[in-house]
Amino acid sequence: MKTTKRILITIMAIMLLTPSLAMAHDHSEPTTKTPASDLRSTLDQLLSEHFALATTAMMKDYDDAEDAEQAYAALDQNAMDMTPAVASVYGDEAAAQFEEIFVNHNDYSPDFVEAAKSGDEAMREEAEAEVDEFVEEFGEFLSTATEGNLPADAAKEVLAAHEEDVISTFDHYVNEEYEEAYGAYREGFHRMFDISKALSTAITTQMPDQFENTKADTPAADLRSTLNSLASEHFALAALEMQKGYDQASDYDFVTWAENMHTEDFKAAIASIYGDEGAAQFEKVWQQDHINAQSDIITAALEEDEEARMQAEESLQMFAEEFGAFLGSATEENLPAEAATEAVWQHEEQVLATFDNYAAGDYEAAYESYREGYGFMFGIGETLGEAIVTQMPDQFAGEEMPEEMPKTGFGGATDASTTWMWVAFAVTALAGAGFMIRKNANQ
Amino acid sequence: MKWKIYFTVVGLVALLLTAYSTDVFANWTNSSEPEEDTRGELSSQSDENLTPPEEDVPLDEEFTILNDQETLEKFQTEKKQEEGITPTHIKIPSIDVDAPIEQVGILDNGQMGVPQEMEKVGWFEPGTKPGENGNSVLAGHVDSKTGPAVFFKLDQLEEGDDIIVSDEEGTELTYTVKRMESYPYTDSPIDEIFGQTDQKNLNLITCTGTFNREAGTHDERLVVYTELVEPEQQEEEEEQELDIQSPTNVEVSGTFITWHAVRVEGVAGYRVYKSTDGENYEKVASVSSHERKSFTDEKAADHSYYVTTVYLDGTESDPSEVAPE
Repeated sequence: MKTTKRILITIMAIMLLTPSLAMAHDHSEPTTKTPASDLRSTLDQLLSEHFALATTAMMKDYDDAEDAEQAYAALDQNAMDMTPAVASVYGDEAAAQFEEIFVNHNDYSPDFVEAAKSGDEAMREEAEAEVDEFVEEFGEFLSTATEGNLPADAAKEVLAAHEEDVISTFDHYVNEEYEEAYGAYREGFHRMFDISKALSTAITTQMPDQFENTKADTPAADLRSTLNSLASEHFALAALEMQKGYDQASDYDFVTWAENMHTEDFKAAIASIYGDEGAAQFEKVWQQDHINAQSDIITAALEEDEEARMQAEESLQMFAEEFGAFLGSATEENLPAEAATEAVWQHEEQVLATFDNYAAGDYEAAYESYREGYGFMFGIGETLGEAIVTQMPDQFAGEEMPEEMPKTGFGGATDASTTWMWVAFAVTALAGAGFMIRKNANQ
Repeated sequence: MKWKIYFTVVGLVALLLTAYSTDVFANWTNSSEPEEDTRGELSSQSDENLTPPEEDVPLDEEFTILNDQETLEKFQTEKKQEEGITPTHIKIPSIDVDAPIEQVGILDNGQMGVPQEMEKVGWFEPGTKPGENGNSVLAGHVDSKTGPAVFFKLDQLEEGDDIIVSDEEGTELTYTVKRMESYPYTDSPIDEIFGQTDQKNLNLITCTGTFNREAGTHDERLVVYTELVEPEQQEEEEEQELDIQSPTNVEVSGTFITWHAVRVEGVAGYRVYKSTDGENYEKVASVSSHERKSFTDEKAADHSYYVTTVYLDGTESDPSEVAPE
C-alpha cells in the first residue's frame, strides 16, 4: 500500500517535470515555472494557510469545539514549515530568529479567545499589545532580512493589516455577525497573497542570482498566484463549510455565502481569460455537481443515508469529469482533460477525507488531510497556470523577460526537443539512483 | 525493496515518455468526443428536479427531520390544540364534577343522544371538537330515577367558572362560563347551541325545571355557554416558539438560488417556488432545514423565485422577497 503510494508520488513528481521539459526548448516564452514564481507560490501557501488555520482555530476554541486543540496544532505545524523555507533563503541563523518571532505570535490567538470567553478586558488589551509588539518586531526582521527591499514601514503596515483581519474575523464571529465575519475572512485570506507578492518580490530583487534572475511579479507569476488563491480558498471554505454543516453551526449559511462569493470571484477570473461564455460554463459545472454535491455529503452524513452518500460521490466524480473536460477544452489541451480530471478527483478525495475524519471524530487525521488537501491546491495553481500561459503566451508576456538566456544552447534542431527529453530522463534516473545509493549507504 | 520501487518508477516513466514522444496522449485526448452526450444527459436530470413534488406529501416525507423527536412531538401537540381534541374527561372544580366523557350521536328520533350511565357526560361527536372553532356540545343528566346525576349542580355554576376537558393523552383545554340560559324543552335555539361560530365554545346541556311526568322529561333545558381560555402567557410562549418568519437574503447566485436559514425552533424546511412570468409561482423544491440553503437551476437568471419557511406543525410562512429583484 505504502509502496504503491510512494511509486505514485515519485511518478507524479517526474510527471510534473515533463511539461517543463517539453517547453524547455524555448525560454523566451513566458512561464509560471521560475524560481521566483516558485518562491512566491511557497509563500502563498504557507502564509494563506496560516491565516485559514488561525481563524479556524480561534473559532473552534471559542466554541469549545472538540477539534480546537488539533486546529491549533495544525497552525503550529504550519509555522514550523516556514522555518526551512526561510532557512533556504537566509540561512539557519535567520531561520531560527524567524521561528522565535513567528511561532510565538501564534500564542496570542488563544489569549484573544480566552479574553472573549471570559469578557476579560485587561487580557484583551494585553493580547493586543502583544500583537503590536509582534508587528513591530517582525516588520523589523523582514526589513533587515531583505536588506530594506521590503521597507520596515511597509512591512509593519501589512502585518498590522493582517492581524486586524484575524481579529476582526474573530470579533464578528463572537458577535454573531457572520456575514461580516466571513467578509473579513475572505479579505484577510486574500491579503496573505498580497503579502506573499511583496515579500517574494523583495527577496528575489535582493538576491537575483539565487533566483536565476527571474521575477516574482511577472504576469505569469501573477496568474499562478491568482489561481493559487482561488483554488486554496475553495479548499479552505469547503472544509470549513462541511464541518459547520455537519455541526449545524449557526454560521453555516454564511460559509456557504462565502463560497458563493468565491464562485463569483473565480468566475470573474475565468471571464478575464476565456470571456463571459467560458465563465458561465465554468459556473454551471462548478456549482452543480460540485458545491451542491459537497453539501449532499453533509446531508447524507447527518441522515446516515449511505445511498445518498454514494450518489453525492458519484456527482463529485461527474464533476471531476466535467471540470477536467472544461479545463482541457478551455486550455486547448495544454492541460490535458484526463490529467485535469485526475487532479480534480484527487482534490475531491482530500475534501472527503478531511470531512470523514472530522465526522468520525479523528481530528488529528482531519487536520492532516486538511493540510495535505490545502497544499495540493497550489499544484493545481501551478499546472493550470502553466497551461494557460502556454496557451496564450502573448497575454502573459511580461515586460521584463529574464535578462540573460542560459548560455548552453539546447534549442535549435526540431528533433532536439525529444533528444533533450531523453537526456534529461537519463540524468534524472541516474540522479535518483545516486540518491538511493547514498540513502542506502547512510542507513 | 527500494530498488524495486526505483526500477518500477524508472520503467514507468520511460514508458510514459515513449508514449509522450509518439503522441499517444494527443490521440487519447482527441478521442474524448462523446462529451456532448454526457452534457445532454445531465440537463435532463436536472430537469427532473424541476417537476413539482406531489401535493399533500406528509411533512416528514417532504422534509427529513433529524433526531428532533422532542421538538416534533411538541409541535404536534400544539397542532392538536389548534385542531381540537377528542375529549374523554371533564372536570368542573367549582361544582365537584370529575367525570369521564363518552361519545354520543343523533338518535333515530332526531334527538341528541345521551350517555347510558348517570355519571358520564356525552360529547356530541358529529359536532365540533373542543379546541376547534365552533360550538362543542356536552350533555349530562341532572338526575336519575333514584337521585342526583353528574350535572346535578350545573345550575350552580357562575360566570367565570372553569370547565376543563382533556383527551386520552392528557391534553387539557380550559373553558370559562360566559352565561347560562334555560329554554323550554320544545323551543331551544338549536342553531345557537350547535351551529357555527368563529369562537371556540363549549356548551353544556342538562335538564332543568320541573319534571313533566307526562312527557317523561323535565320541561326546560339549561345551557351553559362557555368559551375557550387561551391563557395570555401561554399564547406568548407559543408565539415565540412558532415564530413565523419568511426566509431572508434570497438571492440568485450563478445557478444557485440561495437564502439564509430561519433560526428559530420548529423549522422543518423550506419550499422553493419558481415563476417564469413573474406572476404564477409553482413549488419546485423542498429543502430540509439541515441542508444547504440552496436550489440549483441552470437557468436561474431567467426565472424568479421566492422561498417559504415550513414549520414542524405544517405552518408555512409568507413568501420571502422575490429574487432576483
